[in-house]
Amino acid sequence: MTGGVLDGKTALVTGGRQGIGRGIVDAFLASGARVMTCGRGERPEDLPREVAWSRTDVSRRDQVDALAGQAERELGPLSILVNNAGVQITRTVTETTDGDWDRLMGVNARGVFLVCRAMIPRMSAGGSIINIGSISGRTADPGLALYNASKSFVHGLTRSIAVDHGPAVRCNVICPGWIMTGMADEAFALADDPEAATRDALARHPVRRFGQPSDIAAMAVWLASDQSAFATGQCYVVDGGLTAASPLNPGLF
Amino acid sequence: MSGMLQGKTALVTGGAGGIGTAICTRFVREGAEVVALDISPLPESSQGAEQVQCDITSEHQVMDMAAGLSRRWSRLDILVNAAGIEIEKTIEDTTLEEWNRIFAINVTGMFLVSKHVLPLLRKSDGASIVNFGSYDGFIADPGLAAYCATKGAVHALTRAMACDHGPEGIRVNAVCPGYVDTPMLQSFFGDGGDIESLQQAVRDVHPMKTYGRPEDIANLVNWLASNEARYASGQLWIMDGGLSAQVQQMRL
Repeated sequence: MTGGVLDGKTALVTGGRQGIGRGIVDAFLASGARVMTCGRGERPEDLPREVAWSRTDVSRRDQVDALAGQAERELGPLSILVNNAGVQITRTVTETTDGDWDRLMGVNARGVFLVCRAMIPRMSAGGSIINIGSISGRTADPGLALYNASKSFVHGLTRSIAVDHGPAVRCNVICPGWIMTGMADEAFALADDPEAATRDALARHPVRRFGQPSDIAAMAVWLASDQSAFATGQCYVVDGGLTAASPLNPGLF
Repeated sequence: MSGMLQGKTALVTGGAGGIGTAICTRFVREGAEVVALDISPLPESSQGAEQVQCDITSEHQVMDMAAGLSRRWSRLDILVNAAGIEIEKTIEDTTLEEWNRIFAINVTGMFLVSKHVLPLLRKSDGASIVNFGSYDGFIADPGLAAYCATKGAVHALTRAMACDHGPEGIRVNAVCPGYVDTPMLQSFFGDGGDIESLQQAVRDVHPMKTYGRPEDIANLVNWLASNEARYASGQLWIMDGGLSAQVQQMRL
């Protein structure tokens, strides 16, 4: 490994099995960091050998405490924490069950809190926490009530951590737009005409393409690196320009 | 019946426009004495406001207007900066002359009128300035580059004025309308094909399934102008039928 911006740093990424989390794991590795990731299942077969894996449900306090202990043994003091693990449930408030609440808020809200609480004391000075929020935490996606609300929670918690735990750690949130992951594929598959839906969605992105996990990972590398040493408490939107444009684009009608 | 603005004096720029007319009419109904500035004559639907011809991009005309106002009134309670134009172009298609013209009206005019009536506003025991921003000051409509930029400037100017003149008892807010049924909106729709279907499509994008009427905006301006809003200052009040609360609505 030659001269990466994260040389000598250690990183824990939650939810690194696939999608954005996996993209961040790969980018951190390529930038010279030692990386550990976790998920609720067995270690993915294609995870690079040098990445440590912990089977962890971040909504469970006992499992998060075990994760923190394992991270300390494997990596030593932690320089970078990425709270990426999240779930999405497509329901409005009146459709949502108590079980939905527990499952979604357990991972997206409590999980972020538990991991931060366990890891902040174990982080090295100048550490960087990167939470994955969403553009849906700023403006609403229809039918994703708890998901939207959980991401607003992440945005708020990010500011609190930045304020309360600076200068020891920095804490920022990345708000991805439409990133081509399993979650987005599911949305298009539900469309009456998936091809037309895809065309319409593309037209709403000034960059005329959807995001890739690597687009979010590139921002995560920057926020993890010392290049962003003055950045804390902020929401960084990476969405190909989607939310810069009005939802009402007469050119599309 | 005593109105919310009984005994107040109000100056409304752009008072002959779609939203300006609705504001003047509402203010008069609430008991205010209203002077409407515009370069165009007031429409017949405007009732009770007195027009003063003034090109707000000309500092000497604005100073003359302010001098006339201070002869007429001992104080000014309400200033609404509603004058504005729209240029439907990208920056590449916008000439420097057009760029300067839209900034002259939407931003410089707001600066000049506010600056020169400040002495009269200070004499009020609770003055309120309401500037016209737009949801376009937050997120962009395609092909409205200079307009979006002027509205961003208005938002920043609003906060700056609120900070500077709050201690003098002057509240400053901006209202940020979304799509409101005015001549300006009709012009924006103008060359977009079948206007009926276009308008229906536009309605459908709003969570409230409609766009606004000038009276809706006047309701908010009336409240911001009134003593009920005595603690409201320095804010950007979006009113858009929920349009900008959403992430872009993919048609899935």
